[in-house]
Amino acid sequence: MKLFADISIKNKFFFSIMTVILIISVAIAFLARWMLISTLTTELEIRGIALASSIADSSSGYILEKNYPQLLTLIYDVQQVSERKHLVAYIFITDPENKVISHTFTQPFPEQLRVANSIPPEQPQSIKLLHIGKKTAYDVALPIREGIYRIGTVHVGLYKSHIDTLMDQLRFMFLGFILLIIVIVFLISHKLAMYITRPISKLIRISNELSRGNFDIQLDNIIEGWKPMDCPAYGNPDLPCKLIEETESSSGDKTEQATRNLLACKQCVFYGRRKGDEVVQLANSFQNMIWRIKPYPQQLKETEEKYRSLFDSGPDPIFVVDRNSLEIVDANPRAFELYGYLKEDLIGKSILDLGPKTDKDYLSYFKEDEDAQGCVYYPKVIQYGEDQKPFFVNVHACAISYKDKPAIIIEATDITDLIEKDAQLIQASKMKSLGEMSAGIAHEINQPLNAIKLGSEFLEMMATENLDVPQNEFLRVVNEISNQVDRAADIINTLRAFGRKDSLIKDELDLNKPIKGAVSTVGKQLELENINIKLDLSEQISPILGYDNRLQQVFLNLVTNARDAITKRNKKEGRKDGGTITIKSYQYGNKVFAEVQDNGIGIPQSVMDKIFEPFFTTKEAGQGMGLGLAITYGIVEDHNGDIKIYSKEGEGTTFILSFSEAV
Amino acid sequence: MNKILIIDDETPTLTMFRFLLSAYGYTVLTAENGEQGLALFDQERPPLVLTDIKMPGMDGIEVLKRIKKIDPRTEVIVITGHGDMDLAIKALNLDATDFINKPVQRQALNQALKRAEERMKLAHNKDQEISVSSENNTAVIHIQGNISSHSEACLQQAYQQVVAMDKDKILLSFNESASINGAGIAILTQLLLDAQQHNYKVLVSGLSDNFKKVFNIVGISKLVEEIVSGK
Repeated sequence: MKLFADISIKNKFFFSIMTVILIISVAIAFLARWMLISTLTTELEIRGIALASSIADSSSGYILEKNYPQLLTLIYDVQQVSERKHLVAYIFITDPENKVISHTFTQPFPEQLRVANSIPPEQPQSIKLLHIGKKTAYDVALPIREGIYRIGTVHVGLYKSHIDTLMDQLRFMFLGFILLIIVIVFLISHKLAMYITRPISKLIRISNELSRGNFDIQLDNIIEGWKPMDCPAYGNPDLPCKLIEETESSSGDKTEQATRNLLACKQCVFYGRRKGDEVVQLANSFQNMIWRIKPYPQQLKETEEKYRSLFDSGPDPIFVVDRNSLEIVDANPRAFELYGYLKEDLIGKSILDLGPKTDKDYLSYFKEDEDAQGCVYYPKVIQYGEDQKPFFVNVHACAISYKDKPAIIIEATDITDLIEKDAQLIQASKMKSLGEMSAGIAHEINQPLNAIKLGSEFLEMMATENLDVPQNEFLRVVNEISNQVDRAADIINTLRAFGRKDSLIKDELDLNKPIKGAVSTVGKQLELENINIKLDLSEQISPILGYDNRLQQVFLNLVTNARDAITKRNKKEGRKDGGTITIKSYQYGNKVFAEVQDNGIGIPQSVMDKIFEPFFTTKEAGQGMGLGLAITYGIVEDHNGDIKIYSKEGEGTTFILSFSEAV
Repeated sequence: MNKILIIDDETPTLTMFRFLLSAYGYTVLTAENGEQGLALFDQERPPLVLTDIKMPGMDGIEVLKRIKKIDPRTEVIVITGHGDMDLAIKALNLDATDFINKPVQRQALNQALKRAEERMKLAHNKDQEISVSSENNTAVIHIQGNISSHSEACLQQAYQQVVAMDKDKILLSFNESASINGAGIAILTQLLLDAQQHNYKVLVSGLSDNFKKVFNIVGISKLVEEIVSGK
């Protein structure tokens, strides 16, 4: 079977037809042979019987008379008559005692013949195939009767070779006939196979050319009389055809929408069904296919060049990263420039080596789910250049397939300048806060200074006037002075910590810490303004990732805002005290929350959506830049946190901040 | 012994004040907030009160008002944050005796206490507060006690007398115990503007450092030729 599958279609046709013809021929030959042989044998037997009975009729007299020479003459005559001598092998007559009384043999009578074919009783005759020497003959035995007596038996031997000769002739004729048919079948199958295989061979040749990338082959005459130029839309801009137009316009910048608007004829000469058998249909559709794909390699090349130039001249670094190994597979010149690596150093490097180990959130999206598609955006990711200098980028990462492998394309926009400006703005806002706080701070520092001054004046006076200071009073004064110095130093440390610029990397920290820091900075001042600060801080909250200093700035801004809101309400309602700021911290799920609540004037609904906008302020000109809440929002966003406001005019405002716990 | 009430929200400060003022020979009463101070004042009626201005709850200005309401003769010295002149003037307008800046210097404290004592003595002969004399080409107005809206008539009268003397220079000679409140400053400014129009050279002497500062802030210093320290 395997052998059959491997041979060509032409031979398949030939061998198939041949096999069928041979099987039929052999069957017919055997059938014909059987019919002929039986017919001829019967004929021979009938002739033998007829011959034998005529001899029996004519010979009975001679036998009764015992005239044996006459009898011999008779059987010789019968045997030798014309062509009969070729047919009759011998004739012999036996008497009832089975003794040969006459025979036609020229040589001595073969004794075995006498008993070879005896007529069984109740049978009119007996026929038997006998071998005499080298020949084969049918022996027909017939009794010779006179009245009711049997007086002898006549045996006529008929050559079987007579039949064999006929059969040989017949066989010869038959074989010749079959040979003739085979030749005809071979010619027909060859012709038929050629008709089918010639276009297929041609298609195979063209396919091979195409797979070698040669799209310039001439294919106008796979099928005769078929040409794309026959289409009325060919090269005709007035007939926009989506099927043929593309082949003419090599420009790939046609928009998808425009392509969709193109039409095809109802009776398309190009793609319509052509007359002809399956081979013609196949060749036709093959040619259409080639016609369609012929312009694509060129378009592909142009597109590749176009995108390559976009990639190369992109203003931001772009990396192509293998999704499994996270190795950089490709990068554009801007990436080399910004990161300071040589191309050969950067390609093959792991993308993880370009940033600190902690900052890999944007890749986890692709790691968690192997099949994750789409894009992720992560702002303010730290990266290190070749000189290990840190800088900030906004990262856009999308899953793509690059050279048939899953990959991630990462675009990193350098935002270091922006971050620096941001830091400057935050710093400026801090300095502004410090300025606002200066009166309160002066008061704060004046308190211990005052006590110290009084204590030292007391000691000085006692010393200059030579008065005795009781031991306990002396100790008390000196201790108190020391305590007050510590207190002043604490205040200064808090201020210095607040004024310091943050490090670039977030640390794990307890959210209560910046809250306490902010409260310790302004708490006393608020107390002097008769504003109550209630702290309801949970000790069970998880740490978050953040900048202590900036969060302190957030809480300071929120508390200052709350203070202003309370002062406004007091002024409006003429009340003296009753202002309360409540600060809570708590955890819910994997989020850590902080709430700053006041019972101040509240925020009107009309400005609610504006309060985080930069330069929006309800304060009088000169009172504030309107940057406080904008900066607060920016800082919270930097921490991937969220800020929500609930406010009712005349009743108060609650800011709720939420942060993800550090993992 | 004179009783003195000190009101301050800072316990260490109170302790130090108690030691110092006890050494001065005062009977020292202390209170940590306005309400407590007022209650103690009502109970003990000390003639002299020292109070911090910035305090949680009832502040020093309110304490001053209430004390003056209970007993106007009480001398109240306010303690202000450093350079907080607005509050100092506000307190002076409310008839505070003097103000002391934090951190409290012994000298300033001594002066304020002295002024208070003298004012307490002077309280009996108010007419003597303003007098006029003449020395060479200078007309002198002696000022002691408290210059307030009540002093307007006396001051006007003294000024007329000085004008009548027809001298080149006018000397405003303040006694160490003298204090001026807002209304007094307004009257004084009025007189000095008039003097400037008439091309008088005005000199000021005897002012305490505190009042020099006040004069600088309200602009009186610009209207006078010279502020002479001491006599």
